[in-house]
Amino acid sequence: MPKSKISAWHLLLMLLSLMLLLPVVFMISNSFKTLQDSYHSMLQIMPSRITLVNYQTLAKQVHLLTIIWNTFFMATLVTLGKIITGLLSAYAFKYFSFTGKKWLYLIFVSTIFVPFTVVMIPNYLVISKINLLNTAFGVALPQLADATGIMLFLSAMDKIPVSLTETLQVDRIPAHKALRDVIMPIIRPSIISIGAIFFINSWNEYVWPTLILKDKNSFTLPLALQNYISNEGGTNFPLAMALSTITIMVPLLIYLVFQRYILNSISSSGLK
Amino acid sequence: MHNNDHKRKLLVTVYLLPTVAILFIFMVIPIIYTFYLSFFDWNLIAPTKKFVGLENYITIFTDSVNRKVLLNTVFYIVLLLALNFILPYFIAIVVQFFIGKMKGPYKVIFFIPSIFSLVVGAMLFSWIMNPVSGPLAIVMKMVGFSLPNWTNSGGMAIVIICLITNWKVFGYNFVLLLTGLGAIPKNLIDATKIDRIPKWRVIWNIVLPLNKSIALYVLILTIVQGLQFVFTPISVITQGGPYYGSSNILYHTYLNAFVLYKTGNASALAMLTFIIFLVLLYAEMKFVEGKSNNYA
Repeated sequence: MPKSKISAWHLLLMLLSLMLLLPVVFMISNSFKTLQDSYHSMLQIMPSRITLVNYQTLAKQVHLLTIIWNTFFMATLVTLGKIITGLLSAYAFKYFSFTGKKWLYLIFVSTIFVPFTVVMIPNYLVISKINLLNTAFGVALPQLADATGIMLFLSAMDKIPVSLTETLQVDRIPAHKALRDVIMPIIRPSIISIGAIFFINSWNEYVWPTLILKDKNSFTLPLALQNYISNEGGTNFPLAMALSTITIMVPLLIYLVFQRYILNSISSSGLK
Repeated sequence: MHNNDHKRKLLVTVYLLPTVAILFIFMVIPIIYTFYLSFFDWNLIAPTKKFVGLENYITIFTDSVNRKVLLNTVFYIVLLLALNFILPYFIAIVVQFFIGKMKGPYKVIFFIPSIFSLVVGAMLFSWIMNPVSGPLAIVMKMVGFSLPNWTNSGGMAIVIICLITNWKVFGYNFVLLLTGLGAIPKNLIDATKIDRIPKWRVIWNIVLPLNKSIALYVLILTIVQGLQFVFTPISVITQGGPYYGSSNILYHTYLNAFVLYKTGNASALAMLTFIIFLVLLYAEMKFVEGKSNNYA
């Protein structure tokens, strides 16, 4: 293919990259400008005067640390819960045969196709009945009803050589030991990346927190951020951008560290 | 031997119990209960529920607001398919077959927005698209145009809400589709080079059919996940307005349940959504060979 044509495609792709990322860059830079500066030099990436005033205002208006902790705690609960339940069931599916396996697998797959609206009323009622409204557990529990973890762990276990697991059976290694001492160490990169994906998704979760968390002290970051966005156009954007910047930091950090693992897991989730 | 069999059965039960219990309590029973609620008139609080038969289902198709919301949902699906399926598919083909090397960086970069909260996306787009003070309005003003107040128009609001989810989903779908394209045997493509078959014909006649199963998976994911993803920007920016103009079936269900306290209407809408999604699931299992049969 002619070189010029290739460069034209690269130009298009770079333009696309800019369109996807520039808004975030502007967001971070404007969060360090005063309201006035952000009006006058909105598209100036390096602020001429860096100020922390937006972050200070935020700290006065909301309990930033509480909200960050709420988000972190809820995401940790969901991540641990999904990893444990997902690993155990994937292991059962991969290495045991039992009656009803086919049906159970079908049910697990279909959970991905259940819209949240069809479970939200009963789940809301249950969570309020067991007094978990406004708590991290209340937001975490309905999120655990999701079988994507099983699919992801199954595709990770697919890569383990059959000869190895056959050896384990011949040697009569107890199942829990096989899982803990052999299978888990082998798929450790997958566990880390799947955990990272769960954590990021739960960190960003909006639907269940909206339903379950009404008390401002129980808010997670996305909920707190929502209060800074008004559709009347009265949004104080530098302030909203400061809170957004705080919101994206943890997912961004996780992605930067585990980027290769995460992309591999996403890729293999589609290839079946 | 019998004892061993018994032990294995017990083990399987223990391993599956946590998942099955959670799915049962927070998914299976709720679905049944929502189905039950869809035949009643109830306000979420009152001690008694009034049985109304199929009335809630009839209302979905006779009430003008419901019809508007259903029509909006179709518009959402069309836009989501164009933005979140066709566009990333096109770009994935370009990256796989038209630029030689250097795929890695694009994968890493395009994926970044998908790790960010949709509330952040909603904030960003309501800033960029702010008709008075947003950067786009300022740039357009320089060349003598003005940006319309899109929150006043249901159609325009839907477009922008879809753009927000596109910002988030584009990279994710791109990675999935690119992986599928990468799995196509290279010698097959090389053979067409020797025969000097035009590239677009190779794509159309060889690549697209071979990548059918993953493409269909992403297509269905785009509808199922997309309709749920747009819930966030709708809720944050427009609340379904102006006059239900940007609402869709999922947001309208939420509105009925938790704002208007009409759980009957909400449950009927939810069941309708569920049935549509199940049809899509059936289509996926029917056409994507092997995907569901791996462990069954």
